[in-house]
Amino acid sequence: MTTDTVETADPGSAAPAPGKPAKRRRARSPKFLLAIPAWTWFILFFALPVGLVLLYSLGEQVSTFVQKPNVSPSVWSLDNFGKAFDPAYAPIFWRTLRISITGTFICLVISVPFAYWLATKVSPKWRGLLLGLVLVPFWTNFLVRTIGWQLILAPNGFVSQKLQDIGITSGDLALLYTQTGVQIGVVYNYLPLMILPLYVAFERIDPALTEASKDLGANRLKTFVQVTMPLAVPGAIAGMLLVFIPLMGDYITASLLGGAKGSMAGVLVAEQFLNTFNWSRGAAMAVIMIGFILAALAVFAGIGLVLRAIVRARRRVSLPEAVA
Amino acid sequence: MADADSSGEQTGAVELVDVVKMFGDFTAVDRINLSVRPGEFISLLGPSGCGKTTTLRMLAGFEEPTSGELRISGQPIAGTPPHKRDVNTVFQAYALFPHMSVAENVAYGLRQKSVGKADMALRVAEALDMVKMRPLADRRPRQLSGGQQQRVALARALVNRPSLLLLDEPLGALDRKLREEMQIELKLLQSQLGITFIFVTHDQEEALSMSDRIAVMLDGRIEQLGDPYTIYEHPASAFVAGFIGQQNFFRGRALEGGAGIEANGSTLTSSRPADSLAVGSDALAAVRPEAISVSETDPGAAVNVLRGQLAGISHLGDVIQFVVSTGGGREILARLPRTKAPRLETGQTVWCSWAADHTYLFTAEQADLVLADPASDKAEVLAGN
Repeated sequence: MTTDTVETADPGSAAPAPGKPAKRRRARSPKFLLAIPAWTWFILFFALPVGLVLLYSLGEQVSTFVQKPNVSPSVWSLDNFGKAFDPAYAPIFWRTLRISITGTFICLVISVPFAYWLATKVSPKWRGLLLGLVLVPFWTNFLVRTIGWQLILAPNGFVSQKLQDIGITSGDLALLYTQTGVQIGVVYNYLPLMILPLYVAFERIDPALTEASKDLGANRLKTFVQVTMPLAVPGAIAGMLLVFIPLMGDYITASLLGGAKGSMAGVLVAEQFLNTFNWSRGAAMAVIMIGFILAALAVFAGIGLVLRAIVRARRRVSLPEAVA
Repeated sequence: MADADSSGEQTGAVELVDVVKMFGDFTAVDRINLSVRPGEFISLLGPSGCGKTTTLRMLAGFEEPTSGELRISGQPIAGTPPHKRDVNTVFQAYALFPHMSVAENVAYGLRQKSVGKADMALRVAEALDMVKMRPLADRRPRQLSGGQQQRVALARALVNRPSLLLLDEPLGALDRKLREEMQIELKLLQSQLGITFIFVTHDQEEALSMSDRIAVMLDGRIEQLGDPYTIYEHPASAFVAGFIGQQNFFRGRALEGGAGIEANGSTLTSSRPADSLAVGSDALAAVRPEAISVSETDPGAAVNVLRGQLAGISHLGDVIQFVVSTGGGREILARLPRTKAPRLETGQTVWCSWAADHTYLFTAEQADLVLADPASDKAEVLAGN
């Protein structure tokens, strides 16, 4: 900035007076100040705890009666990881991954049509109310809601009874303390986290784009597949991350609805910390879970990139050489 | 959907018969009748809310008329969804697909018709050449300027070779210079392709410069339909007179035989008698700024003369605009070519004069509409002085 521009500026504006050129403006506080609260939070409550977990995972249990592990560098080893990979635990890790992937997928399948309908078909007057209804479950404690599902899924519960009364099932409902029970519970608990970002994504799409698509000869389905859904992909990705990551570490749903048959890694880790006081092994399991999540995300991202490349290749138009 | 051949020479003809569109209680389009010839460039011109866009959307298929009939190329199109109409639209904000390249955008319509790869590439290239966008074929819409996006939108619509192209204020977002360039290009393209263009705009200059015919719309009705010359020279109503170009309006009592009006103690004579005006009835006289001469001395012989004080002078390039105050808060706007304009100073007494055939007479029905126009140039000029 030069003094010239300052002088031509409106004298009534906030521009500095001539002779005191723009140097003053540069001297204002550095931009990173704004990020300090976030960084402090991130370091104190994310980076530091994760570091501690990593440290614990390398240490060793002192005895079954002492909670804190010995983490002096002299005892550092990867033994805990070996123990955590014990064949006895493997099914639980795999089940966790299976429940999380299936759960994320089911949430996506339920949310896409709903969010699309809410964002494009419902009049703005009702949208707020319906969006509020989506969030209503969040007003109730997560734990209480999950306990509620115990009643619904119980073999002698009212749902089981009703189903038998109308003759849909012949015996008691066998869902509580099974993997299916957990699956139902997690989809219920995490569904809003998928609906919200998808709704925002659909809502942000300019209606003129779908009109343009129809104007160019695409019917409703083709318009959805070729225009609407591709533009909502960022929302779908956000929703999948919001559901998949916490779902991988879910403890409450699995411990209340899963029992032994539907247990998940979160329950396993909690047991190490709370029952057997083996913080080191628990920490190792937690680290393994982080690894699982990152690996799963990498695989998803890879699949996503391949799919995108395929879609783009199919859409691609290679023009003939221009005639000079 | 009828194939284009069966309708033969009707291809591209558009017919609106008693078309009405209501939104709840609001009548957006009020019994419009319009017949567009194949290959014609017709503009729907009017202020916002006059129903021009609604009319366009009914032709595109995004709205269904409440009553009346629409025919394209001779075929009734009621109930035909947009994707099955032989019509394409250039949208106001272009509505280019942001996730596709320029070429992919243009190819979109062809892909829906399952045109083969090779043929598609050829036609996309041809369409991009037509709008001079071939070198930017691989760009994304957000990497393009407004004018470039506009060209792509045009290519994307025209590549489908529709029999009718609808344009919804497509030049509104462009700056003046670019807009004028695009006007010329659009008109050229249209005459080369022979496709019927229905062009919606609120910009009278745009409509005048490009159209074969203009339909001036107000409150859901067509006020006047005619070629630019007729619309400009023989406005059918005070609204049309005021909306196309600029006018000085005078309100007064009609004289006998519709030969003029008596306004504020002066007699304004017209050689365009309006028989419909009863003697003594409330009437409007309209005179275009470019029809008025301004002089330092009493022109004497002139038919219509009004004396006033020169309140402002604006230099508009090859034209000089004078604002003359005739007392009582009334102003006359006069525009003279630079070569014919006298050198005058603000504050001096001047005479405005014009010939009788430049006075247009109307009933005072639309007086409120044309007299209360805060956005008129007059107000701007006054504010500037």
